[in-house]
Amino acid sequence: MATRLPLGDVKVLDFMWVLAGPGISRSMADYGATVVRIESTQRVDPTRTVGPFKDNNTNPEFSALFGNNNAGKLSLSLDLSKPEARAIVLDLVRWADLVCESFSPKAMRAWGFDYESLRAIKPDIIMLSSCLMGQTGPLARFAGFGNLAAALCGFYNLVGWPDRTPSGPFSAYTDYVAPRFGLASVMAALIHRKRTGEGQYIDQAQAESALQFLTLPILDTVASGRKYSPIANDDLQHAPHGVYPAAGKDRWVAIACRTDAQWRALCAAIGQPQLADDRRFNSFAARYESRVELDRIIGEWTRNRTPDETERVLQASGVPAHTVQTTFDANGDPQLRHREHFVRVNHPIAGATFIENSRFKLSRTPAVVNRAGPALGQHSQYIFEKILGYSESRISDLVAGGVLG
Amino acid sequence: MLNGCRVLDLTTERGLLCGQILGDLGADVIKIEPPGGSATRSLKPFFADEPGPERSVYWWAYNRNKRGVTLDLARDEGRDLLRKLVAHADLLIESDNPGDLAKRGLGYADLSAINPALVYVSITPFGQDGPKASYADSDLIVMAAGGVLTLSGDDDRPPIRMSVPQAYLHACADAAGAALIAYYDRLNTGLGQHVDVAAQQSVSLAAQSTLLAATLNADETRRMAGGVKLGPISVPLVWAARDGLVTCVFLFGSALGVFTRKLMNYICDQGFCDQATRDKDWIAYGDMLLTGREPIEEYDRLKGVVANFLRSKTKAESFDIARQHGLLIAPLATIDDVLANPQFIAREYWQTIEDRELGLKLTYPGPFVRFGKTPIAYRRRPPRVGEHNREIFLDDLGLSAREFDDLSRMGVI
Repeated sequence: MATRLPLGDVKVLDFMWVLAGPGISRSMADYGATVVRIESTQRVDPTRTVGPFKDNNTNPEFSALFGNNNAGKLSLSLDLSKPEARAIVLDLVRWADLVCESFSPKAMRAWGFDYESLRAIKPDIIMLSSCLMGQTGPLARFAGFGNLAAALCGFYNLVGWPDRTPSGPFSAYTDYVAPRFGLASVMAALIHRKRTGEGQYIDQAQAESALQFLTLPILDTVASGRKYSPIANDDLQHAPHGVYPAAGKDRWVAIACRTDAQWRALCAAIGQPQLADDRRFNSFAARYESRVELDRIIGEWTRNRTPDETERVLQASGVPAHTVQTTFDANGDPQLRHREHFVRVNHPIAGATFIENSRFKLSRTPAVVNRAGPALGQHSQYIFEKILGYSESRISDLVAGGVLG
Repeated sequence: MLNGCRVLDLTTERGLLCGQILGDLGADVIKIEPPGGSATRSLKPFFADEPGPERSVYWWAYNRNKRGVTLDLARDEGRDLLRKLVAHADLLIESDNPGDLAKRGLGYADLSAINPALVYVSITPFGQDGPKASYADSDLIVMAAGGVLTLSGDDDRPPIRMSVPQAYLHACADAAGAALIAYYDRLNTGLGQHVDVAAQQSVSLAAQSTLLAATLNADETRRMAGGVKLGPISVPLVWAARDGLVTCVFLFGSALGVFTRKLMNYICDQGFCDQATRDKDWIAYGDMLLTGREPIEEYDRLKGVVANFLRSKTKAESFDIARQHGLLIAPLATIDDVLANPQFIAREYWQTIEDRELGLKLTYPGPFVRFGKTPIAYRRRPPRVGEHNREIFLDDLGLSAREFDDLSRMGVI
């Protein structure tokens, strides 16, 4: 018998879609929560239409982005325009501890699934609404993806070269920040409910969560009037600090020295011990000042070696260094392999596929990650029968009535 | 909402945000620093560039809603005192290199023997074990290892990171959720456990599942200035406006193509393209490019059409249009723009803390979510060095005045 999982008694009714919301319930499923995901065939989850796709097959069931973010959840497809579908949802609300949604504000109200309505039938329900800018305010209805919130939060202007327009972070940055705050928040609400019996509503603006990661420049800008603009790979605490050329096409290695000891070790490792005491480089301030020349010298050494060799040689000397792993490299990274980061699972339509494991390990109650993301509506029958206890005849009426949208 | 939950925060600069999140959620977080103060206090930048243990912006950023004590864990007396605190604690957070605290008799095995219900959270660059567990690290190193650094920057230059360090913030935010999952379990079982957070795995979330592509026989994703390369297709996300830059999504498929259809309808109405261009199959367009049914040159022409449209508008004009017509366009904000954004102001998001003693008036990003019943409050500014020593060692732990004075004199606290 497997260990009882931490969230084995937690039931989640999940209307969330795209990236930022479903990341929350994915983590809950990893640790044992039963997550029933409501999907629609009319409005397919956008992540089902975005890759990586297994074998580059753009069938929505082949999206690893969707599969990874929704692994371990149950899928019920419903046509929410039908009154019978509404009754099913309300039955699931009675079953659930937590209802999550990530539509733009008003969608849930339009269906009659706003917090006040749900609380009327389940007084201790916890409900999380997660949207780009929050449920209130002039931009409440501005909907979209994480790249838009990342732009509005100022993340784009922090990635770039000083002599060019900003490159910006990869894709939809706030979608990778917000779910962590969402998870901590719903866990705190579940803990509060366990102790007091009280449920509540949670309004998550993904932008407001993500701005926690910019606390430092915000404090600094307001208090000191400093301006933050793109500075490529420069750093206030490290010199050298950069990404250096390596042997191979578009291959790079990252190197960062914080302390004088690391700097000395680097000089020795690259066969230039005399540089350690060179007046241009013999203190952090000097190295920072002379960083262009410093980067040139280091680059001369790195460019003829593979990034892995540089990583190995420098790490052996205690110098922070790492291959800039391409996404393909990372798949074979021995550390990620050791941590069992990639998990093979079976999908009913796509067949054998892969997902990423829980990003943290609990020693006594480790995550159980062995189920793929669901096919659209895969568990409708199971949910009617086992979770809602509907009779066979009721289920066939629902199917015949076209409720499984 | 976590009131009554006591957290001992032993973290270095890597782990500070985790305790702050738990403090925001109402936990009683005690930041434990060595005598003289945490090394984080000497990190740049400093307010107005004046160094001082109470002036590091880095310290101020991640230590609100904590009380602070000093305790020398290099000495037996200090470790004994920590063990006394552990006996009454619910969570402990640390971010030393794997095994370092165990060498001092303060590892998970040691402390769970004192308090089996303790949830012990470790935040490290690569996790507690594995071939890279003892690697020397930094924000840049973790980003490189996590498959994220490779995805940002211009394709004719080296990859670049976000210049405000992010790697450990991802790990800390993961750690807060993980700690609460373990704490929830403890409420059911009475048992604690060791939570092991690896920053490499945490940051890899920001690679958006592209780390799976290799084993799935899918296209590789590569960096591109202001966008992304997906196989043969270069997708721009940053575009020029008349007075600056905007982000705009110009993508295809059954979900994203719907937005592109709306965008092209508007662009056509404004006379920036003909009807044949407007009426392309935006749902199938990505497939058409991938299969060669539509030449890449035609896609390049379309990007030119969108670029011409966006260049004709100011950032504010484009944003207004986006809001009215449900388009995916937003301006690239500076920090000053963020502070002036009417949305955050209307929601009374910004929280100010005034420190008259230091002459600082600080503006923090506000609560990360709004709870209906148990709102997040910014109850405490970050602690001064040893600010709560008396309160915690005398009142909470019950040391006698004499013991306290002895330990102070010996430099343990």
